[in-house]
Amino acid sequence: MNMRRGYKRLLVASVAASALVASALPANAETGISATEIKLGITLPMTGAAAPGYNKLPGAMQAYFDYVNSNGGVNGRKIKLVVKDDGYLPTLAVAKTNELILKDKVFAVVGALGTANNKAVARSVDLGRRGVPSLFINTGYSGFADGKKYPTTYPLFPSYIMEAKIMGQYIKDNFAGKKLGLIYQDDDFGSDAQAGFAAAGVKFDVSVPYASGSQSATTAAAWIGKLKAAGVEVAIIFGVTSATGAALATSAALAYKPQWILGSVGGDATTLKALGVPAAILAGAQGASFLPSPGDATDEYVKQFTDIYTKAVPGSSFDNNVLVGMNTAMLTVQALRAAGKNPTRASLMSGIESQGSKWASASFSPISYSASSHVGYSGYWFGTYNLSGVMLPTGGKYSIYTTDSGSGAVSKSTYMRPAMPAKGLPNN
Amino acid sequence: MNTKLINKKLALLTAGVIAAAGLALVPSTASAAPVCATANYIESCGGVTSDGGKYATMVPANFNGTMFIYSHGYRYNQDVPFAGYAVSMITNNPAPAPMPGGATDKAVITYLLSNGYGIAGSAYKTQGWNAQEAVAADVELIKTFKEKYPNTKKVIAWGESLGGFITQALAEQHPELVDAAGLICPALGDVRAELQNAGDALWGLKTFFDPTIKGHGYSAGAAGDTEALVDLGKIVAVATALKSAISTNVWPDSSGAAGKALAAIPPRSALLLVGLMAGVPTKSAHFDSTTGPGSKNSAAYTSFATAGAPALAVLENIAQSAGLAVLATRDIEARTGGAFYDNSKTDYAARIADDLTTYNAALSGNTAINGMLAFINPANPAAPRFKGDAAAMDKLAGFMKNTGKINVPTVSLHGTADPAVPAGNTQWLVDQYAAQWEAAKAAAVAKAASSGKWSAPKQKFVALWNNPPTSYTKFFSDGTPDVSGPAVTGTNHYNYTAAQLSAFAQILVNAATNGHVQPDGTFRGLGRKAGGIVDSSYRAPMLPYYQK
Repeated sequence: MNMRRGYKRLLVASVAASALVASALPANAETGISATEIKLGITLPMTGAAAPGYNKLPGAMQAYFDYVNSNGGVNGRKIKLVVKDDGYLPTLAVAKTNELILKDKVFAVVGALGTANNKAVARSVDLGRRGVPSLFINTGYSGFADGKKYPTTYPLFPSYIMEAKIMGQYIKDNFAGKKLGLIYQDDDFGSDAQAGFAAAGVKFDVSVPYASGSQSATTAAAWIGKLKAAGVEVAIIFGVTSATGAALATSAALAYKPQWILGSVGGDATTLKALGVPAAILAGAQGASFLPSPGDATDEYVKQFTDIYTKAVPGSSFDNNVLVGMNTAMLTVQALRAAGKNPTRASLMSGIESQGSKWASASFSPISYSASSHVGYSGYWFGTYNLSGVMLPTGGKYSIYTTDSGSGAVSKSTYMRPAMPAKGLPNN
Repeated sequence: MNTKLINKKLALLTAGVIAAAGLALVPSTASAAPVCATANYIESCGGVTSDGGKYATMVPANFNGTMFIYSHGYRYNQDVPFAGYAVSMITNNPAPAPMPGGATDKAVITYLLSNGYGIAGSAYKTQGWNAQEAVAADVELIKTFKEKYPNTKKVIAWGESLGGFITQALAEQHPELVDAAGLICPALGDVRAELQNAGDALWGLKTFFDPTIKGHGYSAGAAGDTEALVDLGKIVAVATALKSAISTNVWPDSSGAAGKALAAIPPRSALLLVGLMAGVPTKSAHFDSTTGPGSKNSAAYTSFATAGAPALAVLENIAQSAGLAVLATRDIEARTGGAFYDNSKTDYAARIADDLTTYNAALSGNTAINGMLAFINPANPAAPRFKGDAAAMDKLAGFMKNTGKINVPTVSLHGTADPAVPAGNTQWLVDQYAAQWEAAKAAAVAKAASSGKWSAPKQKFVALWNNPPTSYTKFFSDGTPDVSGPAVTGTNHYNYTAAQLSAFAQILVNAATNGHVQPDGTFRGLGRKAGGIVDSSYRAPMLPYYQK
């Protein structure tokens, strides 16, 4: 054999194969990454019926990113967040996510909100096939933890099944024998809740579904009428904040005062009050959260985030949505740092899977990211709203209960979260 | 010959002059020599292929050696004489190029002739589903053209809708005759995919809104033609009633058992369900499914965008394509000898499972969805399924199909919200070619390894997609939608201007010249002029037929 010719042919074939591979890649660095900038995107309702409260998320995220940027950024790069209003419409979320990817050319999507929107995007935009990471999405739909179906999606919130299982156990422990009623969004969000309550062995005397987007004072009157007619003593609502607000305001107007238990999605007190919920009916309501109370000034995460936020957005109240946004931003910074000095979409995702479970986070719940798990948080604590709208932990201290989205038991957690990094700047 | 002067004069020709040149020159016997006349430096010929179909050719004096052969789209195979739906009479007039504005729109013809291209097109002997005879007629016409104009060097085949199917089939079966192919909103692959969409839509309308609609199983002969027209009239009536029902939430009187059983569910949700079952796009000429009237923060805005708009889009799309659904079903039943559509085992719930989240609000939530799916369960006697005739189904299975093999440089142009021939048709071809392209790349690498010389493979197929804008619905000041404007790009079927099709023609000329299609700057620039973009990451929803 002519070895020289053989090597030459091999070389040509290798170059040819490289050329083919190269032709499928961007000419320069990873999409959304330049020498000076990392471009991220988010879609969420900034306007429309579902917007109240959630429209504070991008401002909170940007406040934290700006803080990091002013302290050197991530490996010298400043983080830019492109915000798209999807009006809580899945079809619009698809169009806006396409814009983020094709026109704005973002590196990754972060914090996209809504179960239906994220499902529609994952399917129609085909994030998995495109290899576009969607990090720390603002939904607790259990299905997103399926890494095979959603290979580039990383949920953060505990699933709604987990929340309902834990809440179910709480109800059994504290309200046994009471007449129970449930108002729920009649989609995957509500289906998860029903599955969780069923797994916990909780049966409702009356269940009231509502179609997403149909919430209003008129429809809420019908919901409350059904609960009242059935003599419900403990009323649970798994809805967005605007639905929760409509239910509570109507309940107050009709002088109907069951023990309200609010799902975490619609439980932000600041937003509820802004929607016209009287303090008197909110006071005494109970709720669940995986983050510390935003009114808890003794919490080191709340304290640091409040300090950053009030300087960045003076005059805006620090509430649960702001806490969620800043916590998401801090996790994002840690993910970007884990992706290395020359980050790629692949290294971003592998960084989450290899290091994410150890990151600093405001939640009292452990994070379960690994090579085989896209599950984020898995635990909740319960509390009671006071007259100021601050939810304080039941029993005076945070007691975290964790579970899974399957048949696993609800158990008290011994997890100790990492300390807030010095000056609130990740050092992973 | 003063070519410059001729070019100048040709460029000044108006559509009216071209039309006056005549497309109706026809000899008296089949395969006879064409009858020709020359006017304004253009030779126009009319002839008849051996099967009796009329054809037309037009060649300018400065013919540059490249000819376009055009295959027109599906024409109804029966007259549609009554009011209520667009009147249509059978015409067997040849179309040598696209006439997007109707029979008097000669702008594309003018463009091609002015630039030195020859054009040709057949009417085909019969209308309706005529792929087999159309491919044969095109082959014969290319040969006839070359015999008359021996300086023909390049042949570009193009066609719209059914003509896209015919063009692809021609390029697959006779690559030696074609140098490039252009597929405009093409129906591709297996005709059963298109017919299933039509059948599902008709069955859904019948089941939910008017049980007296036949939808399939039309009688033989003239009686069947009449039944089809009666069905079309009923669908027009249902569509009119639904237009009101969307705002009143009251089911149309014609709804029968469904209206009683599902009275608590808004009829708009059932209409949307029918659309999703049948693969009808949720964007239409005037409804974007994302916009409402007034302030974005108003309840009216949210309610319209969330709940009403998708149903209105489906309604507008169904109204636009109902004629094709009914009359193509009738036509092909006549050709197969019986009812070919069969949904006795169709699992609609599985088919639309992914859509249920996206349109959950418009479908009125899971409880309503489960109620509607329970109603159309095969076990419900109030919603009887269609059972097809085995012999007819077998015969339909034998109809000509596209293989998906790309033999010549090919470019497609397709609206992503095309209601009559959904973009999933082109997606099918995109997927077929993906495998071919991967094989070509692997073969190139293998060849380089053995020869020591690298020769990059040439791309032979690129899809151009026409995307509607994200938001385009317009409203009057009282909040009612304004549907008076033209259909936006990417919606409706065959929704192109002459300028767009002329740009597309130039793309095809480049493809024929280069022997491949490279989505470079020139290609993309012309693509934008054609209203399309190259987006390799876009995937149109596959037609339900291919999802099983």
